[in-house]
Amino acid sequence: MNLKMIWMYHDLMDLYGDKGNLQVLKIRAQQRGIDVTLDTCTIGEQRDIRGYDLFFLGGGADREQSLIFEDLLKRRAEIEQAMAEKTAFLLICGGYQLFGQYYLDQDGKKIPGLGFFDYYTVAGDRDHRCIGNIAVEASMDGQVFEAVGFENHGGQTHDVKTPFARVLSGHGNMFSGGQEGFVNDQVLATYMHGPLLPKNPMIADLVIQRALRKRSGEVELKPLDDALETRAREVMLERLHVSRRKQG
Amino acid sequence: MDIRLAMVQQMHRILSKAGRGGSLPGSFALAMDPQFISRFRMPGIVILVTGTNGKTTTSNLIAESLRACGLKVINNHRGDNLNIGIATLLAESSDENYVVQADAAVIEVDELTLYRQFANLHPTAVVVTNFFRDQLDRAGEMETIIRKIMEVTEQFEGDLVLNGDDPNVLRIGENARRARVHYFSVAENTASRNVTDEASEGKFCPRCGRRLIYSYYQYAHIGRFRCPYDDFGNIHPELLVDSVDFDRGVFTACGATYHSFINAIYAIYNCASVLCTLKMLGLDMRRANEVFLNYQLKEGRNEVFHLSRPCVINLIKNPTGANEVMKDIISRPGEKNICIFLNDNDADGHDVSWIWDAHFERLDDPLVHTIICSGLRACDMALRLKYEGLGDRVQVIEDSRQAVRWLDEARLDSYVISTYTALHSTRALLRRQAGEHR
Repeated sequence: MNLKMIWMYHDLMDLYGDKGNLQVLKIRAQQRGIDVTLDTCTIGEQRDIRGYDLFFLGGGADREQSLIFEDLLKRRAEIEQAMAEKTAFLLICGGYQLFGQYYLDQDGKKIPGLGFFDYYTVAGDRDHRCIGNIAVEASMDGQVFEAVGFENHGGQTHDVKTPFARVLSGHGNMFSGGQEGFVNDQVLATYMHGPLLPKNPMIADLVIQRALRKRSGEVELKPLDDALETRAREVMLERLHVSRRKQG
Repeated sequence: MDIRLAMVQQMHRILSKAGRGGSLPGSFALAMDPQFISRFRMPGIVILVTGTNGKTTTSNLIAESLRACGLKVINNHRGDNLNIGIATLLAESSDENYVVQADAAVIEVDELTLYRQFANLHPTAVVVTNFFRDQLDRAGEMETIIRKIMEVTEQFEGDLVLNGDDPNVLRIGENARRARVHYFSVAENTASRNVTDEASEGKFCPRCGRRLIYSYYQYAHIGRFRCPYDDFGNIHPELLVDSVDFDRGVFTACGATYHSFINAIYAIYNCASVLCTLKMLGLDMRRANEVFLNYQLKEGRNEVFHLSRPCVINLIKNPTGANEVMKDIISRPGEKNICIFLNDNDADGHDVSWIWDAHFERLDDPLVHTIICSGLRACDMALRLKYEGLGDRVQVIEDSRQAVRWLDEARLDSYVISTYTALHSTRALLRRQAGEHR
């Protein structure tokens, strides 16, 4: 069995250690005996996006984001096709925003998104960003679990019909908004950096299963020793006073 | 005579007598008078030093070199680079009428707040070392920092001493309309590389947005770059280090040979900025050599403690600094243990994701025996290493006292790397542990 991942704009959209997510996906797949291919694709590069099981796009600074959006829009038809063919998507921060309707920046300029989903993002004012550790209760593929991350975004994302998580501590899609990210059967989009996956291996495994589903159907993943991952997550949950174990 | 200044100065004298430095007088002064810093009559030479890495070292080397040239110099040598530290420095160095008693002030200024202090300090020169990703949760995006600095340097009429090998620093020179711009640069040498996995900034030409072409990298994104379309990066350095001999720890510039205070490429850049500053002031550059030779690094910078075996401690605060420290550790001979203290207090930055931008896979070396992870975010550090395949060699000891004792009992050379807020307490523990071997 093999897993083919494509890392979009790896040299531009690479903020806050988001590359760690790919490292985690790669290692966790390999530990289940799955061969992993990880290709990168940047501005102007020819790649058949449909040929991959997982599409990853991380966050970038405003300047980088404005450099890539034209190139991304040119690939819209291909991405739509990949979506129809059941590719899994993991989108962080800027990647999340670009799959919505548009991003209205601080100067009032509207950067069009790919428009796959209803949500849209409006930049916050210059001196106010949603910054800090975040804890959520996430729902994904029928499972409900606690997850932690670090958010750092000015953009306020409105009109998310199917959020990924309920915020236990932190901001989420908007200042004190209560909801975090977007999720459907194939796409997980979130503001959570940290990076997201090292401390939340259950999300990593669900993403791997989604990606494998495209060509291999339902795949059971054998459990791994996640004691360290669990401990790292617990440390943050306890600090944010949202640990159920501690309360109960 | 101003009663408020007199009170602040008296407070400083009392604290100094009690053996306490610190920025308390400055915070007291600013609480009474928010305009405190603007009231001083500054000396004829005021050099501000800013940038991401190397500010403290560079400003201390400049201050010492000016002293070696016979000037009376004040500087915030401990790196108290925020307004309270600067207010303290000015209060302790002035007479009762706010007149600073010196020929020159060399002031390290935090790159995030430079734009606020700029006009108040009446600078005659600004030295910019480099811009790296650093504490993004505090600083926001690097772009914002650079733009805020450019807002004040655009109409600045003094001298700008700039790292010509950092595209983002070069932007400050391009944008300055009235200043005299002096670039320093280091030529290709044995540490230079044609490709890199460290460059995360400065990929694009600020004039046209096209990709910059590098003929070589020194470290991170520092190197010789050019835009093939509009020639951005084609500079004429006023101070060029034309050769570096890392075997002997010496380099040459303007026909003279100098000793570097540490044998590392980033230190050569610190030295180059000092020489460029002296040249700009028309002072004797060779005076700097004795300063470089005798310079004692600050606490926690390559500092050695004698446990059962030698233990070297280094501060890390961002990916570029961490990468350079790890290169040095791996280049040292012999089997070794490593201990990493990762904290996420205010001064460290709350966001520890930067450890995923740093090349910790470099620690995957046969001579690395065990890596201890300690501090408030010990598990995050251990996970970072686990996903580089180092899990078998990683041990989490959250308690710092136990971690230090473990290093001592392991009887191997050891290297401690620590974020800012763990540095002080870790040094104290190492000192105590070393005391048991005397």
